[in-house]
Amino acid sequence: MTDTTTRTLTEAEQQILRAVLDTVVPASADGRMPSAAELDFSAYLAEQAAAFAASLPEFLAALPSDFASLGVAARSAALEEVAAADPASFDQLIFRVYDCYYQNDAVRLLIGGEPGPPFPRGNTIPQGDLSSLDAVIARSPGYRRV
Amino acid sequence: MATPERNDPVDVLIIGAGASGAAIAWSLTETRMRILCLEQGDWVTPQSYPTNHKNYEAMYAGPFHMDPNVRGLATDYPINVQDSPIDVLNFNGVGGSTILWAAHFPRLHPSDFRVRTLDGVAADWPITYDDLEPYFAQNDEMMGVSGLAGDPMSPPHTPPLPPLPIGRVGEVVAGGFDKLGWHWWPSDAAILSQARDGRDKCKNLGPCVSGCAQGAKASADNTYWPEAIASGVELRTRCRVREITLGPDGMADGVIYYDAEGVEQVQKAEVVIMACNGIGTPRILLNSTSAAFPDGLANRSGLVGKNLMFHPVGMVQGVFEERLGTHKGPNGCCILSKEFYETGPERDFVRGYNMQVVRGLSGPLTVATQGHRTGRIPWGQGHHDAFAKRFDRSANVLIVCEDLPEPCNQVTLDPDLVDSDGIPASKVTYRLGDNTQKMMTHGLDRGEELMAAAGAVEVVRTELQRVSGWHLLGTARMGDDPETSVVNAWGRSHDVKNLFIVDGSVFVTAGGVNPTSTIQANALRIGDAIKQNLANLFD
Repeated sequence: MTDTTTRTLTEAEQQILRAVLDTVVPASADGRMPSAAELDFSAYLAEQAAAFAASLPEFLAALPSDFASLGVAARSAALEEVAAADPASFDQLIFRVYDCYYQNDAVRLLIGGEPGPPFPRGNTIPQGDLSSLDAVIARSPGYRRV
Repeated sequence: MATPERNDPVDVLIIGAGASGAAIAWSLTETRMRILCLEQGDWVTPQSYPTNHKNYEAMYAGPFHMDPNVRGLATDYPINVQDSPIDVLNFNGVGGSTILWAAHFPRLHPSDFRVRTLDGVAADWPITYDDLEPYFAQNDEMMGVSGLAGDPMSPPHTPPLPPLPIGRVGEVVAGGFDKLGWHWWPSDAAILSQARDGRDKCKNLGPCVSGCAQGAKASADNTYWPEAIASGVELRTRCRVREITLGPDGMADGVIYYDAEGVEQVQKAEVVIMACNGIGTPRILLNSTSAAFPDGLANRSGLVGKNLMFHPVGMVQGVFEERLGTHKGPNGCCILSKEFYETGPERDFVRGYNMQVVRGLSGPLTVATQGHRTGRIPWGQGHHDAFAKRFDRSANVLIVCEDLPEPCNQVTLDPDLVDSDGIPASKVTYRLGDNTQKMMTHGLDRGEELMAAAGAVEVVRTELQRVSGWHLLGTARMGDDPETSVVNAWGRSHDVKNLFIVDGSVFVTAGGVNPTSTIQANALRIGDAIKQNLANLFD
């Protein structure tokens, strides 16, 4: 049974976690987008994902102990193995990594989004062109009369 | 006059503080009767809604999920959907499911009330569109509806406020409709395009279905309830009704409910009005058994819980080269098409569907996780390129199908599942009918044509969506014949003359559009009928 209490990751586990983050969302080839390992995933876990954090040691233990020193291809293959063996846990990992990554203000700006929560900032969108509605009226048969 | 004590008998007891319960509570205030509403959930504060938070997308995938089985709040009740391809979506609290709705606000059409006469299927309603028309207009004023008059494919009406912006995504998809020569029109929305009645206008936050922090989206808690409460209606929260009790005269005489501490309470009433919608209402009726009603209260027809109708939904997504601003704007209200709404003799199905263009639920986390599930956005190498091709560049059209009533699609009591108070929970047994399946296929094919015509570089088709059970209809339908209906034309039980039902369960057929406008208009109409017949209400 999975332990639901959070414990501090050992240094070895933290190394593996950083490598996992860097494998799931690496920096972009042009260096524009950061790797997920560059963000403060520990703070995210503590503030927003305590239950997931508690399950992390078990997840990391399923990876090779030398995972952090493997090349990208070998790390990806190891993660694929975990995904095949326990897809639910892997999907949860993906969700948490993406959640941390895509709520980061710097990342939001880099993808052309907006930083921070939607409220109270709000968004501006164009009213949109309604000029073709005259043609819609002209071609419509009308609603069905009874 | 002394303030009534808690649990003193009341004149009118309303069960459920959602769209219909709020509307009829407000309608009945002018009678000056003692009106009490029992609601199993709490008030929800706008400050708690996800869009106040950076992790808003994770919040609406979890604690603000539309599915009570996922949300799992103490105020929710579980629903067994193992025998249904569609999950039930709702919210339990003041405002009911309008807390987490998209506020898309079309009306049923005149033809929707004459399905048997026009198309030879299902049954006609005992009322017409014209009966509801004045209440549609009254309800539009109360909710604050934005839209554009003049739609030739909808019955004439003039929304009180101008339309919401359709944005670039609306323009692009409208271009596809225009190329194909199909109908489209800006959506009617119960969302303010201008400030009104102390509520500010929409700020295009995006995910309306996770609650509106701005308060621009109408929900029963920010429209009807403040006025009803100011006029003397008592709204008691965290009160979960177990059953309606029956007096020796065969009339409903009140309810047994559990309060927030789980303590059993008795509340007597002269009139009981149910407003728990298509799952909650049959659940309470089926739990209310007695010697007179061994199969559930008001169920001599055997139709309580039967004929459950959803609006089955499929989706087509177009991916475009340009940025469309898809993650912004009211998510359910952009433009819609009724090109295939009415029966077409050349098609292999009767009735029809609307094509609802949606947006606003396409934030980066949602795009990335959906891309992971579909395999279109990989993790690892290639993630950034694939993400960039999709984020803010997709347009989605929902195919919202009219469902037909079938007795095999039903709500029953689960033999094992109970809520936190030990009350037996609902079980949904549902399958997609043959007519609906043909309609869905036709709609998805048209959706693919639409996105191609609009210039999509990639078109992705999703068949029946599991998370789509917003509209819960038909499980206590109205009619003139007690053998084939549960309530009469003004919502009164054929079997129990002081028991009324005002929610979506009284729908005879579903139409092919979102039902809340019609549900509320009908609740207001029933309220008027009660007021006009107070002297002989139980005759």
